[in-house]
Amino acid sequence: MPRKRRGFEDPPRHTVGKLVAQLAEELKSDRPSGQPFIEEEEFPTKKLRVNVLWDEWDRVPLEERTATILRAYEEAEGREYRDRIALASGLTVPEAHAAGMLPYQVLAAVRKDDPVTREQCHRALVEEGASILFGEDNPQLRFSTNEEAEAARQRLAQRLPNSEPVWVITKEVGTVEDWLER
Amino acid sequence: MPRRLIDRCQPDSIREFRASAGQRYYDGLALAGAGNRTAAVYLWGYAAEMTLKAAYFELFGLAEDDELTVPGHIQPAINRGRAAPLNIAWPHQGAGHNVRAWAELLVGVRALDPGTAYGPAFAVAVQRCGQRIGQLWKETLRYHKNRAYLYEVRQVREATEWLLINSADL
Repeated sequence: MPRKRRGFEDPPRHTVGKLVAQLAEELKSDRPSGQPFIEEEEFPTKKLRVNVLWDEWDRVPLEERTATILRAYEEAEGREYRDRIALASGLTVPEAHAAGMLPYQVLAAVRKDDPVTREQCHRALVEEGASILFGEDNPQLRFSTNEEAEAARQRLAQRLPNSEPVWVITKEVGTVEDWLER
Repeated sequence: MPRRLIDRCQPDSIREFRASAGQRYYDGLALAGAGNRTAAVYLWGYAAEMTLKAAYFELFGLAEDDELTVPGHIQPAINRGRAAPLNIAWPHQGAGHNVRAWAELLVGVRALDPGTAYGPAFAVAVQRCGQRIGQLWKETLRYHKNRAYLYEVRQVREATEWLLINSADL
């Protein structure tokens, strides 16, 4: 009778090579804006919780996202640093928004007589890291805190001359369910 | 007169979750063997959910037979997962049944204390089981007529088995 034995270690998980390289590069470059948004939270144990919000995850299975993040950290920071990561998650911006993680949004409130156009504002939003997964003509630039949104608003005003008055920050208050659960 | 089934059920507890997780796993095997693939996946998802919840509440310090309630235990656990430092993506719909999020909560909370943190490979394996089941299972499967593919049945079974086999170490 055949006797099959399987150990604890699975075969190495599939990673998305192109995304590993891109993410490793982002980790090294530490740009102030644009996707991916990489959030690291260090625990008192020195373990890390990493969330990578990135529209490139669209259609990539969750397991591959985690494997890709871990691989990218290993390439960028080394094995020891990678082993400090206790929990790594990859989410697209719409997924993070749906989970209530990005309540702040920077919007372009463009009027007819403003010196900048809607299209220019959309381009600036996308350069700043807005997601186009909500729709090509509906770029959404979202953040978890007001401070991050305010910093983005200031960068947008610099990126697009004369646009300062059009940028506004909104905060979603959540559903009735959110409030009941607090 | 014998008490009815519902009246014979014990309150939700770590012990009940663990015992019924094993039963639902074997129920699922029987269903899969009879070709009822979606029904098998449906039960295995619950088996995984109960295994993870039992592990979390044991870590939390509850006794095996302490009663678990939604307002007293489940919802506070979800709120803890959503908040910093864990920041787990935990959508409102079906929150109590989100296997992926429960797995991440367990891994994350364990990492907060050096005495309880999983090793890197084990942490990834727990999270992976949650992710895999989370992509193929929802409690709302019961409302749908779709038939699970064979590879989907295999993936959910393997992930559930892994959690059950390792439940003492979770």
